[in-house]
Amino acid sequence: MTFAATPQPAVEATALRKDFGEIRAVDGIDMSLPPGRIYGLLGPNGSGKTTLIRLLMGLASATSGTVKVLGVEMPSRANLSRIGYMTQADGIYPELSVWENLTFFAALYGQTDKTQLHAALELVELDTRANTPAQNLSGGMRRRLSMACALAHHPTVIFLDEPTVGVDPALRVQFWEHFHRLAADGATLLVSSHVMDEADRCDELLFIRDGHVLAQGTSAELRRRAGTDNIETAFLWFATDLGAATGAGATSATSPKETSR
Amino acid sequence: MNPLRVAAVFRRIVAQFRRDPRSLALLFVAPLAIIALLGWVLGSQSAASARIAVVNESANAGAGTVVTRLQSALEGQPGITMVRSVADDSTARQMLKDKQLDLVVVLPADFSLQSRKIDVLTLGINPTGEYGALPAIQKALISAVADSSVGGALPTVERTTVYGSPNATQLDSLAPVVVGFFAYFFVFILTGISFLRERIGGTLERLLATPVSRAEIVLGYSLGFGFFATLQVAIVLAFVLGRLGIPALGPVPTFAIGLGVHTAGNPLLAYLLVLVLGLGAVSLGIFLSTFARTELQILQFIPIVIVPQGLLGGFFWPIEGLPNLLQPVARVLPVTYAIDGLRQVMIAGADLGSPQVLLDLGVLTAIAAVFVVLAAATIRREVA
Repeated sequence: MTFAATPQPAVEATALRKDFGEIRAVDGIDMSLPPGRIYGLLGPNGSGKTTLIRLLMGLASATSGTVKVLGVEMPSRANLSRIGYMTQADGIYPELSVWENLTFFAALYGQTDKTQLHAALELVELDTRANTPAQNLSGGMRRRLSMACALAHHPTVIFLDEPTVGVDPALRVQFWEHFHRLAADGATLLVSSHVMDEADRCDELLFIRDGHVLAQGTSAELRRRAGTDNIETAFLWFATDLGAATGAGATSATSPKETSR
Repeated sequence: MNPLRVAAVFRRIVAQFRRDPRSLALLFVAPLAIIALLGWVLGSQSAASARIAVVNESANAGAGTVVTRLQSALEGQPGITMVRSVADDSTARQMLKDKQLDLVVVLPADFSLQSRKIDVLTLGINPTGEYGALPAIQKALISAVADSSVGGALPTVERTTVYGSPNATQLDSLAPVVVGFFAYFFVFILTGISFLRERIGGTLERLLATPVSRAEIVLGYSLGFGFFATLQVAIVLAFVLGRLGIPALGPVPTFAIGLGVHTAGNPLLAYLLVLVLGLGAVSLGIFLSTFARTELQILQFIPIVIVPQGLLGGFFWPIEGLPNLLQPVARVLPVTYAIDGLRQVMIAGADLGSPQVLLDLGVLTAIAAVFVVLAAATIRREVA
């Protein structure tokens, strides 16, 4: 994959900080994510992943720092129509049918093309369940519906907050295949996860802890730098003081994309 | 403002309601059931039977005549049973305690045709209920003393009222209040819970991640719940104002659906008042849902938000009769203005030309507007 000399980053954050009272949830994050790739946001529970995603989308206001998505400074309501967001909670209306949920969210994004909506349902294999109330779906099906609702308007930048939690392994594989198709079509995906074995499916990883980006790079690169084959060990290595010192350098040095695969 | 997005929110709320029969029942069946019960209780109250005795403790010559005439006059009254063989005051007191009597008219020892002072004796456990027969006694007393040849010049006492009729039941004056109050109560509860579920169910987070604006959400909600409030008020008003006689059919005796309360003014104006009140309740529900974490906590707002409006809003007592400190409180409550407006329209027959009704409508609109702004302000409120 090749880019123009200076491709406009899909997502860009500068000195991003977010305080909740005394707690500093996001502590000075700089990031610049070129388009067309899948970025894995990896970190333990409470490391600031969800807060970071909400800041990037403009759903939370930053204490300081700026965010640009597709070159537009956030928060921007109009820009949200180019962004897809799958929340950690399913965020669907249990009384409404699959179809009603999908058409509702799609309508808010301005997507009213029924063919497109049917295609979105087929993609998550819920086309035969269109009239089933969401509350009668299994947990995995609700997750799939939630994903269809996030993607039906063909967003260019997609934030997925722990999309595979509660999803069985077979379906998880399908999810990731779909994510790669979206990226191949030019979409940029930021997928948060605390499951380290999903790391290898991402084009590039961001290790997050205590509101800091510990390190950024491909899975192979990060493991090599940490001197281990195990991504979990690599994470722990970067999380130590020694790793943090080396990792911090890597964070700012990511813009030149030497990480072609 | 994008009408398509507002329409999407509106349609979604309607669809949610359609699939939630219990909420629909709460909205439509519950008020009718409560009002029907109220109508039943209040409507039959005049026919409540009272057992009455007349006791003469006086040695005055004219007293005996008054007693006889009083007894025969009372006997003609509906719902009154005369108990004749009560000898004296102490027997009467005992019979009251034993629940053999409800009310005793005593001509005291110092009774004279000049003073015409009589005592009315009841048990005192439920004063309001016990004195229910008092108007009948007054009537009988006037006729008894007037008939008495020794009566002399009596002031003629007759009840007249400017609006309505002296025979208006409690139901007539309560009906406007009930209509407004229920609309407010149910709309508030349903919107509050519905929006709380948006907040805790993660759907609000998702809504805010779309290009929909706060104004579009509040407007969509107002339209959605306004639509159901419209239906509810229409049905409740039809039930209160209308009366449909159902002829006897087989073992079912004749009965009537609806209370048949008379409205002096235009029902559409009454409708408009309740509608503006209801729209304010939608935004209040959205606003207060910020301060609740569970459905139970929404219900906890009832004693804080709903009950004071019931107590102070003119439901039971006129605002002017409230303690001085509470009067300003009553004057900021929307229900106060709705009740006043509804009474003006339904009892006094006021129309849009009445400054009072215009003031009520204006204040209700202003209150609704304030809560719309407050509701919109809370929607982007950050949840940690």
